Amino acid sequence: MALFGRRNVLLVLLAVALVLPAVANSYQLYIGNLVLIYTLLAIGMNLLLGFAGQLAFANAAMFGIGAYGTGLLQVHFGLPFAIAFPAGALIAAAVGLAISFPALRLSGLYLALSTLAFAQFTQWIFLHWEGVTFGAGGFKTPQISFDPLPVSKPVGLYYLSLLVAVALYIFARNLVASRVGRAFVAVRDGEVAAQSLGVDLLRTKALAFGISGFYAGVAGGLYSQALNYVSPEGYDLFQIVLHKAMIVVGGMGSVAGSLLGAGIIIIVLELLRAVKGAQEIVFGGILLVFVLFLRGGLISVIQRYVKGWDEPLHAAPPRRDEPPPLAVPATPVAERAAP
Amino acid sequence: MMLSYILLSGVTTGALYALVALGIVIVNKATGVINFAQGELFMFSGFLAWALHVQFGIGYPLTLVLAIAGGFLLGVMTDRIAFQPLKNVDVVSLVLATVGIAFILRGVARVIWGGKGDYLTFPPITSPEPIMIGEIMIIPQQLAVLAGAVLIMALFWLFFRYTRAGKMMQATADNAKAATLVGIRTDRIYALAFGTGTAVAAAAAVLAAPLTLLYPDMGFSFFIKGFAAAVLGGLTSLPGAILGGLLVGIAEALAGGYIASSLMEVSGFVVIMLVLVIMPSGLLGARRLRRV
Repeated sequence: MALFGRRNVLLVLLAVALVLPAVANSYQLYIGNLVLIYTLLAIGMNLLLGFAGQLAFANAAMFGIGAYGTGLLQVHFGLPFAIAFPAGALIAAAVGLAISFPALRLSGLYLALSTLAFAQFTQWIFLHWEGVTFGAGGFKTPQISFDPLPVSKPVGLYYLSLLVAVALYIFARNLVASRVGRAFVAVRDGEVAAQSLGVDLLRTKALAFGISGFYAGVAGGLYSQALNYVSPEGYDLFQIVLHKAMIVVGGMGSVAGSLLGAGIIIIVLELLRAVKGAQEIVFGGILLVFVLFLRGGLISVIQRYVKGWDEPLHAAPPRRDEPPPLAVPATPVAERAAP
Repeated sequence: MMLSYILLSGVTTGALYALVALGIVIVNKATGVINFAQGELFMFSGFLAWALHVQFGIGYPLTLVLAIAGGFLLGVMTDRIAFQPLKNVDVVSLVLATVGIAFILRGVARVIWGGKGDYLTFPPITSPEPIMIGEIMIIPQQLAVLAGAVLIMALFWLFFRYTRAGKMMQATADNAKAATLVGIRTDRIYALAFGTGTAVAAAAAVLAAPLTLLYPDMGFSFFIKGFAAAVLGGLTSLPGAILGGLLVGIAEALAGGYIASSLMEVSGFVVIMLVLVIMPSGLLGARRLRRV
C-alpha cells in the first residue's frame, strides 16, 4: 500500500474532518458542511453521468426537491427532522425514478434537453405553487436540536452530514465495484453491447436515476438545515453548472474525484461569493477548460503520478487525443448523435 | 376581440421563438448537435445591439447589421472553441463545453450590463403608438417582429436552395463523409453553420429586445422555448421551426389568457416532453427508420 495511496489520504481527511469542529470557527464549520453536502451531490451526479453515462441536467431539481421535501414535511405536517429528512430524500429518489422513464426513450442531446426543461419546470413549481412552497420568498425551516447529545446545532448538523457523507461514499464505492456498477459502465460504453451481455437497460438506467436522485435528495435535506432557509433560487440553473463543474474538475467516473471536485469548487465558490457574474464566468470557464484540456479531471493526474489511486475498470475510458489520420475524417458527432 | 388579441400576441411571441428555433435548426442540420449556448448567444447579441444603439447612438439599421455580424463572429468562436476540438470526442464533452460557454456569456453580460433584476429597455424601431385595426390593438413592433421572422426564413430558404454554400451545408448535413469525399471542407461548413445560426439569433434578439426588455437571464427561457419549437417542427426542418414557433407561441398565449398567466413559462417544458415522448420526429421532421 503506497504511503500516499487513496486509503491513507482519505483516512487522514476523515481524521481532519472529525476534529474540525474543535478547531474551526462557525464559518469554517459551515464551509466544511457545504463541502460534505456537495460531495454527496457530486457523487450522485457522477454515478449517473460518469458511470452510467446518462447526460441529465435534473440533479439541481432533485437537490431542490430534497430540500423542499424535507422542509415542507416539517412545516406542513409537523414531522420531526428525523423522519422528514429521509422522507425528503426518498421523494427525490422517486422523482428521479419517474423521470428515468422518458429517459429510456431518449439519449444524448435529447435526454439532456428534456431534463434541462424538467429542471426549469421544477423551478416553476417552487415559484408558483405558492400554497405549498411559499413562492419566490421561500420559507424558514424549523430549528432542529440534537438534544440528548451534548452538541450545538451547527456541530450536530456537521457530524450528521459527515456521517451520511462517509456512509454514502462507502456505499458508492462498493456500488461501482458491484454487478450494478459494472452494468452502469457497460451501459455507458455501449448500450447494444451491454444488452447483449444481459444487462437490463430499463432497470439499470432507472436504478442510476433513482440512486442519483437519492444522493441529491439527501444533500438537499442537509442543505435546507445548513441554511435554515429554502427558496427557489438556491436550486436554480446556476446549481447545474456547479454540479457539472465539480465532477468535471474532480474526474468523471471516479468516486474519489467527486470528493476532490466538491472541495475545490466550494472553496472557489466561497472566494467569489460576492460577485454572481464572476462566479458564472469562472465556473463556465472551469467547465470549458477541463472539458477541452483535462477530460479525466484532476483525479487522472493524481492517478498518473501517485501510486495507489487506480480505479481499474471504473475510470472513464481513456480518451487520448490522437488526431485522426488526415485523409480519413473521423465520424463526426453528427452521425453518432442522430436521434 | 379577446381571442383575436390573444392570437395576435401568440403569433408575435411565436415568431420570436421561431427565430430562435431557426438558429437551433440551422446548427443542428449541419452538425447534428444542439448548441446549448444558443440562448445565451441570443441574449449576448441583444446586449451588444443595446450597447451599439443606446450607448453609442448608432442608427437602428446599422445596429442590426453590426449585431448580426457580431453574432456571426460569436458563433464562429463557439465553433472554434467548443465544437471543432470536441466533435470527435463525445457528445457529453461537447454539451458540457457549450454549457460552459453559456455561463461565461451570462457572467460577462451580468458584469458589464448589470446585475440580476436589471431590465434594460430597448427603444422600439417603429413608432411606439399602437395602431388599431378594427378592434384589435397592434403594437407596430409586433408587426416588425413578424415581418423579420418571415424575411429571415425566406432568405434561408433561398440560401439553402440556390447558393453553393447552402448546398454544401445540406450535403454535409446529409452525409459528412461523402461531403468530404467530393471536396467540401466540412470544418468550414460547421463554422458557417454556427455563425449563421448565431447571426439569426442576433437578428432575433434585436427584433425581440423592444418587446421583451433585456436581462442576463433571458437566454435560457428563450432557448428552452426555441428548442420546444424546433423539436415540434422536427429539428431539421426550417418551415418546421417556423410552424413550431408559432404553435408554441399561440399555445402559450391561449394558456396564459384563459387559464393562468404563470402557465406561459412552462409551455416549453410541456411541449418538449410531449413531443419527445410521443412523437420524437416532430411535425415536419424526416422520419427515420432506425432509432437508437
